[in-house]
Amino acid sequence: MPDRAAAPPAGAYRARRLGRLNLEVRQSIGRVRHAAFIAFGLGVGLAISVAILLAAGVEAANIFDEFVVLTFFDRLGLSSVLIECSPLILVGLSAAVAFRVNFWNIGIEGQFFWGAIGATVIAIFDVGPPATRIGLMLVFAIVGGFLWIVPPAIFKIKLGVNEVISTLLLNYVAYQFVLNQIYGAWQDPRDRFPHSEAFDAAERLPLLGWEKVHLGLVISLVAVAFVWWLMQRSRFGVYMRFVGANPHMALAAGIPVAMTIFLAVGLSGALSGAAGFVMGAAQEHRLTGTMAAGYGFSGIMIAFLARNNPVAVLIVAFMIGGLYAAGQSVKVFYSLPQALVSLIQAIVVMCVAASDFLVRYRVHWLRGDGR
Amino acid sequence: MIEFLANWLAFTPVFAVPLLLATLGLIVNERAGVINLGAEGMMLCGALAGVACYIEFGESTAVGMTAAAFAGLLIAFLFAFVVVVLRADQVVTGITIVFFGAGLTGLIGLRWNDTAIAGFQKLDLGFLSQIPFFGKVVFAQDAMVYLTVPIAFGVWYFLFRTRAGLNLRAVGENPQAADAAGIAVDFYRFWAVAAGGALCGLAGGYLALAAAKIWVNEMTHGRGWIAIALVIFARWMPGRAVFGAILFGGIEALIPRIFAAGWPVPQYFLQMTPFLATLGVLVWVGLAGKRRSAAPGALGLPYVREDRW
Repeated sequence: MPDRAAAPPAGAYRARRLGRLNLEVRQSIGRVRHAAFIAFGLGVGLAISVAILLAAGVEAANIFDEFVVLTFFDRLGLSSVLIECSPLILVGLSAAVAFRVNFWNIGIEGQFFWGAIGATVIAIFDVGPPATRIGLMLVFAIVGGFLWIVPPAIFKIKLGVNEVISTLLLNYVAYQFVLNQIYGAWQDPRDRFPHSEAFDAAERLPLLGWEKVHLGLVISLVAVAFVWWLMQRSRFGVYMRFVGANPHMALAAGIPVAMTIFLAVGLSGALSGAAGFVMGAAQEHRLTGTMAAGYGFSGIMIAFLARNNPVAVLIVAFMIGGLYAAGQSVKVFYSLPQALVSLIQAIVVMCVAASDFLVRYRVHWLRGDGR
Repeated sequence: MIEFLANWLAFTPVFAVPLLLATLGLIVNERAGVINLGAEGMMLCGALAGVACYIEFGESTAVGMTAAAFAGLLIAFLFAFVVVVLRADQVVTGITIVFFGAGLTGLIGLRWNDTAIAGFQKLDLGFLSQIPFFGKVVFAQDAMVYLTVPIAFGVWYFLFRTRAGLNLRAVGENPQAADAAGIAVDFYRFWAVAAGGALCGLAGGYLALAAAKIWVNEMTHGRGWIAIALVIFARWMPGRAVFGAILFGGIEALIPRIFAAGWPVPQYFLQMTPFLATLGVLVWVGLAGKRRSAAPGALGLPYVREDRW
């Protein structure tokens, strides 16, 4: 075996002849160029998505109609986008709040389920007078989502347990619990299907009077305003940012690091629980086994694309709401599976994540023979 | 009771093998410094490719498993390109790979959905299989179970007894130093991810061809995530991974046994046990504190040389 110290490895000679790529870390980047790179990534992602839709049998002429005209520029379409985006805004905020303190909350679906379970308990046991029922459901949903994220938060803070895995594992546990309820004690006595009985009128979010848009949209907008204030204007927001950027330095600066992480993560769980409430009280009107499907990843991707900015979460969630709404109609008209929505989201995220390369590095081609 | 025990232990390898293959793949990944959260997606692609090629090309498990490994490899190439070459965030990309795999298989898997297959058959090793108890447990498994033993040994041998394995671990531990020593960091990381993906693909293929004998959407049902946790439990050592996979395979194998025995245990709570046990293991590792230092030093961190030009 050749001695590495004595002779340079054989590859070095070849590298000298051919040259190689060199990456330089950018110290700064202009706004326009930054936006252009991200738009490039987004464009590539959308182009691949269109190609997949074409391959799946959607006619080229219809793609624009289905995904843009009939979705965003049509009364019925726009109203269903607004309905779809209400829980999406909440899960997007949930992910953004946790990511801000570098806590990867992948357990959004579990907290979503516990939010829905909390709301369902109040609804099917008719707790409290009908006038306050819906408010109580929201409170229980928030508490349910919060409680479900407490164990992973404590394990992370106290024991350093990887939160990606712990929060995700709890998704499966929550899902099995929901199955246990809807196939057991809470099974609908009327139709014997595996879902809870339908919520009464007092247990549903009221409509706003424009198509079927409901109060969930207002709840989501209030949440955006609150999280915006918390992140951008409050002392706690500064703590969060500091802890997310450098926890060691934050600790040295006297910031209560563990408490900041715990509260931010708890808020994340509460927001996911609220999303479960909106889904249950305004869209499904009951507890179902499929109601959380896809919301975990959508939350993560919304926060990622919005760079954890609450106002950007609103905009991205609106666009993803469009994808959900269009996905519904494509599902009906072309009998394509729901998986299509997952796939398109994954491709877009991957392309935008990859475009970060251009944002972060400047690429040079170094020739082998000097410059 | 002996009957129950023999049945349980005989079923354990079928559940342990996919966990072990995926865990070994992830150990190779993480030893090179790349955290691969996309295991679940790679396993799904392997499972679908395995079943589809098994059905379409002469019902051969060998063809199915080869296709499964290639499917895992292809997804791993995509993952490696994004995180190793383009140096994107490994956590976001890994999670995205899971949903990419779930979406892709959900879209193209419709044709093969819910088609029951014969899949792997238990081998009959003559008089060995006739030995009471041990015959059933040890000498009447399918071919892949026996093949997994040399694979596990091979991974250990490669990582700890070859120059290339040493280089790979150096890249994961301290890429700056490895680079300075003339080791091609990106090369090792790229191929470590590729090899890990192929093993995850095999794991998925085996799951479909031997354990489930059917393709259904999202059939891996969290096993990729359990494998990621097993890597931590195994402290990045292939030998301990074997132990962890048998332990968790045993838990999974117990669930259908309990149903079969007709014990009055609530079904859905029983199905939580692998996930709660995994969480318990993570907490236990956390409580043990200093075990954390077993993680490769540069795990999850992209490497940029940053030389002047």
